[in-house]
Amino acid sequence: MVDIGYFALCLALLASGYAVWASALGAQRGHLGLIRSGENAVLATFALLTLAVLFLWQALLSHDFQVEYVAENSNRAMPVFYLVTALWGGQNGSLLFWGWILSLYSATVVGLYRQRYRELMPYVVATLAFTSFFFCIVHLFAADPFQRLPFTPEDGRGLNPILQHPVMAIHPPLLYLGMVGMVVPFAFAISALLTGKLDTTWLRAARRWMLIPWTFLGFGLLLGGKWAYVELGWGGYWAWDPVENASLMPWLVGTAFLHSIMIQERKGMLKVWNLALAILTYGLCIFGTFMTRSGIISSVHAFAQSKIGPFFGTFLVLTLIFSFGLLLLRLPMLKAENRLESFASRETAFLLNNWVLLGMLFAVFWGTVFPLVSEAVTGEQITVGAPFFNQVNIPIGLLLLLLTGAGPLFAWRRTSSESLRKNFIVPVSAGGLSLGVFFALGVRDPYALVSFGLCIFVVVALGAEFHSGAKTRMRTSREAYLVALWRLSTKSRRRYGGYMTHLALVFLFAGFTGKAFTEETEIVIEQGASHQVGEYRIVYQSLAFAENANYSTTAAALALHRDGQFLGTLLPERRYYPAFDQGTTEVSIYSTLREDFYVILVGSAENRSAKFQVYINPLINFVWLGAVLLVVGALWAMWPTSRDRRLAQVDRQTAMGLVATREHPHRA
Amino acid sequence: MLPQAPDSLMRRHKFTLGSLVIAAGLIYLFVAGVQQSTATHVTLQILMDGSLDQSNRIQLGGSTVVPGSIKWDPYRSRPEFAITDGERTLKVRYTGHAVLPDTFKDEALVVLEGKYHQNNHTFDADLIFAKCPSKYEGQDYNDHIKAMDARSG
Repeated sequence: MVDIGYFALCLALLASGYAVWASALGAQRGHLGLIRSGENAVLATFALLTLAVLFLWQALLSHDFQVEYVAENSNRAMPVFYLVTALWGGQNGSLLFWGWILSLYSATVVGLYRQRYRELMPYVVATLAFTSFFFCIVHLFAADPFQRLPFTPEDGRGLNPILQHPVMAIHPPLLYLGMVGMVVPFAFAISALLTGKLDTTWLRAARRWMLIPWTFLGFGLLLGGKWAYVELGWGGYWAWDPVENASLMPWLVGTAFLHSIMIQERKGMLKVWNLALAILTYGLCIFGTFMTRSGIISSVHAFAQSKIGPFFGTFLVLTLIFSFGLLLLRLPMLKAENRLESFASRETAFLLNNWVLLGMLFAVFWGTVFPLVSEAVTGEQITVGAPFFNQVNIPIGLLLLLLTGAGPLFAWRRTSSESLRKNFIVPVSAGGLSLGVFFALGVRDPYALVSFGLCIFVVVALGAEFHSGAKTRMRTSREAYLVALWRLSTKSRRRYGGYMTHLALVFLFAGFTGKAFTEETEIVIEQGASHQVGEYRIVYQSLAFAENANYSTTAAALALHRDGQFLGTLLPERRYYPAFDQGTTEVSIYSTLREDFYVILVGSAENRSAKFQVYINPLINFVWLGAVLLVVGALWAMWPTSRDRRLAQVDRQTAMGLVATREHPHRA
Repeated sequence: MLPQAPDSLMRRHKFTLGSLVIAAGLIYLFVAGVQQSTATHVTLQILMDGSLDQSNRIQLGGSTVVPGSIKWDPYRSRPEFAITDGERTLKVRYTGHAVLPDTFKDEALVVLEGKYHQNNHTFDADLIFAKCPSKYEGQDYNDHIKAMDARSG
């Protein structure tokens, strides 16, 4: 059966190669048959890779341990759920999954745009198919998921217990959907450059196709943080590890892109910049893959060193040379149609936003590759730790937060000083006032104070935007306030969805700022004794042991009280997975919006006295709330409006005309 | 057009000035950050060589935990253990606060951060990153088979 999977991969290599050839040639000659054939080959690639994925799943579920990947990443003791997720638990399987998602994106684009973006589509298809072609080469020659062992082991090694967590089932697919999806805006950028159709058509497609992976990636990142928080037992959720940075970087550039394209749509400026951002976003996705999977940078959760490094390295360099070379060639066609007119304008705010985001990217990038660079220059590998990233990114982040609120208060082109005053007075005074309140409440950390003040400023500014919009609508349409608010935000989805993601950012920052007030204590107590931690009182009631096929566990029961009130029982555990000879820490959390009471069972002695590590993490739940709101806002913004549908209709009609003249040139 | 020229010229200067200020701020943050939180990454060989500047914070990589060397306290928290690169071994004391990663165990590949005491050849680590060699892949397959045999036998 596995051989069929391997065979499907071989055919997928041929199909994607053919798709590149047919689409490019078809575009050059204006041959519609070839173009369509190329598109069909993309659909075929998708079907073949789906088949390959299904066969790998089948091998995992049927415990076909002769397949090396199955033997290394699953065993008989694992529940079915984790057998399914083992598809992306190891290097080769996750790459296959990656390639499959790529083909899924490609097939979706082909399916959706049979009649739209016809001038761009052939090269879009060629670019997507070329990427698929590259991945098939990797599957077949560097990371074969169907590789067989010379013998069949009795049992497999299993999925690492740390990865046996429900979040780990969704986190990697989300990240892949994010990282891989950024190939679509890239493909549209390349096609615009190749065809010379450099108006805003490509941007319209690219915006939507950036927004989708951007949402996946953002949510995936935060979900990864959640996993680290509940599973790794160190009380935190972000460590500036190279692997985390690798997926943060494209997200930052993607965010910049989503903002700067608005300037091009409105003013015909920043054309080169936008193309460069689309290329950079994709380049960073490949770079991240290269970095985390080649073993070039040591990271706690990087994949083992493998032979795919050179493949990705070469692919990355070639892609960047080709793309930026093409961009240089097209420079004469990319003159800006306008200039910035005033400092106090929306354009300037967007521009600043782009600088800030790229500043962050710069800091994260250099911090990540610093060991390599310093070694090349001085011969000594200097590493920078989390304090570096925090020190650099906190001020930049606060500037970003300021712009989140201030940007929408500026008008396009120029803002009169009168309307500046009018728009800023309420949010600024609210923010200023809140500074006093937070200070009175005991907040002394300057960064935390500024951050909280800015959060209030942005919330009020956003609220005012919704409010004034609704008021205006009420005057013209005589609707009730709430009706007006609803209609307003469903009519200008892009704008108000955007504001919702801005609100999500406020939530995130409030959560990040809570980190400044984290308290950490280590306690050793006898069974039956109690201990006061801040406002909380814990009573260590009992210790229990249990065992199942997968692991054995020690759990402590702690009764949690505050102000004499019983809040609940916490059950922190230490598990041991014999198949891996590895323990895992299962934390227990009492969670409120205000703070988390987070407890780890460090260990227990013979006499049943135990050591606990306790973290009190204020505001941390705002991070997870922000993650949810981010998705809601993004979905809100990308939901097609009636205008989108109209545009699609127009596109389709033009394309039909185009097709008709091409298919019957003699009649035209 | 002429009357507008100085105005737009000034404006452009303002933009240039603005970007310069931002760039300068970034560079400052960057340099200050690097100075504060760097560690020199070394291998056991370089460390025990003795030629290293002792004042620096050290990140020690590329060694594994010597099997059986981990001595836990009663609550399994702050261990003393030895690491090896195959040729040399070094005694390590964990002085940090965080709970050790689950992947920290015999033969785990560890990266330590802390201070090296040359006089008594010990390393005080306040940060330990551990990568179980089998975290994703790469464990020698024969070892696994041996382990399986040992368990069933």
